[in-house]
Amino acid sequence: MGLTSRHASRFTPVDFFADDTGVVARVQALLEDLEPDRAQMLEALHRIQHDLGYVPKEAIPFLASKFKTTPAMVYGVLTFYSEIRTEPPPRVEVQWCSGPACLLKGSRNIRLALEAELGCGMNESTADGALGLRLVQCDGTCHLAPLVRVGGRYIGPLTVAGAIELARRLKREARGG
Amino acid sequence: MADPLEAYRRLQEVARPAWEAVARPKRPLFRVAIATCTRAAGADETLSALRQELSRRGADADVLVVGCPGLCFADPVVDVHLPGLPRVLYGRVTADQVPRLLDAVLGEAKVLPDLALGVVLSEEERLEGYRGTPVEGLPDLAQSDWMRLQVRRLMANVGHIGAEEIDHYIARGGYEGLAKALAMSPEEVIKEVLDAGLWGRGGAAFPTGRKWDFLRQARGSPKYLICNADEGDPGAFVNRNLMEGDPHLLIEGMLIAAWATGASYGYIYIRDEYPLSVERMRRAVEQARERGLLGESILGSGLSCDLEVVRGAGSYVCGEETGLISSLEDVRGMPKIRPPYPAQSGVFARPTNVNNVESYANAPLILRHGAAWYASVGSERNKGTKMFSLSGQVRRVGVLEVPLGTPVRDVIMVAGGGPPEGRRLKGVQPGGPLSGVAPASRILADDGLPLEPEPFRDIGMLMGAGGLVVLDDSCCVVDLAVYFQWFAEDESCGRCTTCFAGTRRLLEILRRIAEGRGRPEDLELMRLLPDAMRNANCAHGQAAPTIILSLLDLFREELDEHLLNRRCPARACRGLVRYEVVAQDDALPRAADICPTRAIVKDDGAYRIDQGLCIRCHACKEVAPQAIAVLDAHTG
Repeated sequence: MGLTSRHASRFTPVDFFADDTGVVARVQALLEDLEPDRAQMLEALHRIQHDLGYVPKEAIPFLASKFKTTPAMVYGVLTFYSEIRTEPPPRVEVQWCSGPACLLKGSRNIRLALEAELGCGMNESTADGALGLRLVQCDGTCHLAPLVRVGGRYIGPLTVAGAIELARRLKREARGG
Repeated sequence: MADPLEAYRRLQEVARPAWEAVARPKRPLFRVAIATCTRAAGADETLSALRQELSRRGADADVLVVGCPGLCFADPVVDVHLPGLPRVLYGRVTADQVPRLLDAVLGEAKVLPDLALGVVLSEEERLEGYRGTPVEGLPDLAQSDWMRLQVRRLMANVGHIGAEEIDHYIARGGYEGLAKALAMSPEEVIKEVLDAGLWGRGGAAFPTGRKWDFLRQARGSPKYLICNADEGDPGAFVNRNLMEGDPHLLIEGMLIAAWATGASYGYIYIRDEYPLSVERMRRAVEQARERGLLGESILGSGLSCDLEVVRGAGSYVCGEETGLISSLEDVRGMPKIRPPYPAQSGVFARPTNVNNVESYANAPLILRHGAAWYASVGSERNKGTKMFSLSGQVRRVGVLEVPLGTPVRDVIMVAGGGPPEGRRLKGVQPGGPLSGVAPASRILADDGLPLEPEPFRDIGMLMGAGGLVVLDDSCCVVDLAVYFQWFAEDESCGRCTTCFAGTRRLLEILRRIAEGRGRPEDLELMRLLPDAMRNANCAHGQAAPTIILSLLDLFREELDEHLLNRRCPARACRGLVRYEVVAQDDALPRAADICPTRAIVKDDGAYRIDQGLCIRCHACKEVAPQAIAVLDAHTG
């Protein structure tokens, strides 16, 4: 293996074929066309997350080998970015916009109410993994402020009471499903 | 070598028929704005309802997907162009309104006045020319409060051309600026950009031509261009509007920069929150390659350059140019220590130029129309236009483009319609969370606070990259400062102690004050920490305390009220308010039911709030506004 990257001196081959979760084989196929030193690490993380819902730790040694760097460097990258998940996502996630337009229109009240009603904190999931809350950054859909997103759908402008009713409905549906 | 202008004219000949069919349609043409903002309001559903309904009716009509014309407050928007009539823009066209709209516009009426926002006229058309036609009585959109301050140069195509149609762009003069640039020397191109007075729109306001000249003179190859489309400032969404509405403008701008600087490869780094921008830009890059506008010997000239779109993954400091470069290098997106500057040693340690989307997007206009034309709008000191996104406590939220120097007062009070009914303007937060808050007294002063860098610098803040978040008197500036400091702390990369620890200390102090536990010596700390934080490596740490200085210098009374009297005048700081039942009425059972912590209890037939359970989420106040009162926690 040609050790040409910046981190060549720290590169230690990892026996990633020892993985028995099947993750590595899958990830390997996903990243076939990617190369080191071509600004493609983020693309790799996006592809894995798109396919598996998150970037499992089993993928780290493989990524290190693929991008000719160390597992520690890969771990550093994937924990740096707020949109890369290292844990499986909940089945249904309420994404709470943290932006200023939402804030001015009462999003902090909505956050408190959602946390109390769902019984989990921000960026956490309920014990059964059915429901979760996630903080997201403003994407400039401020005409709907204050808003949350559930399953890709925008819900806003939202009242606190409306948020509580939404949380109750999601809890009912989670129990029913 | 072939003449680039000749090659361009051939390209335009090929493109023209596609645009003609849209410019003067022979059958009804429906433009549906599909952008991040309109989608959030249900535009995808509108689009499929429209297509279904048209085919169900067997209507002979066309549908064109365009970008967002900036009227987010009226999303989803649909523009209807009937042969022989001027275009009419309709707002709030949700899927359920589509049958009504089609009944009207395909029927006798031809218009649906209650959803119509106004008539969209081309430069040659005048509304008077349509007396006696069905559009008589509809307003001219260009004369509306939202539009009349605007000069749309960057946004000239947005909402008009197909968002994925390179031919529309070319037929309307797109890539002509590139062809003209290729017929000039790189030095001449740089001079033209300097003469136009263009400076970087990302916030730092450094002359773009000089930056390009640094790269032109830099030694080493290959040279790289980077477009910073990380637009991370919450409340800013102008770059998104441009990338989703007119992606080729950015590509053309980058190609002009490539010619001027000798760069042969470019990255367009788009934030993760903009998946549609990523999709549209990637599509546009492919189309440009197909037309020979990217790749080898572009338009038969000596320019060879290719571009690639990279999607970020959620990091504010990757909007700092050296943080962005780190991110492209497959390591943590931490800003680097300068010097060396990117022009000497940028991405992959090669000479690199980083510009904002809007900076590149101005270049085609300058090259196409000339520096003199470009400088014909703007203020005495600053030339050209600037896009802004207006949001917050204002009646109309959206994207606008105004000449530099336009008073922010007019943008808020005229275009935005001012704060909501019954509220007073309190301030505006320009330029993202690292900027401060300009108070209403400054905005409503004689000059109206012109939108250009200098007046903002004079009050200790930055005009920034285009975000304008409006505050009314229901907002608490201390509460807002807690948010900004939380954001700065959360997004700090962790390199400099001055930044990661400084933001953390400031956040602690602000939270303390917001909870009524402020100490007199906090004021001194709030002066001391920003001083120390100026030593941070990058702008993130240096600018993070700007809001603190706004509090101390511009909103001192409100700060003192929190600190000395433990009182939040806007009753927004949670630690300084309590909720009480002040009257027994019929709404209380519903309030008790909605309370997520069951804090509203009934004792001896009367409701009261258990203060130990109450989390002050405000839900009960919404449901029972007469029965529940929000009181100061530390009085009475």
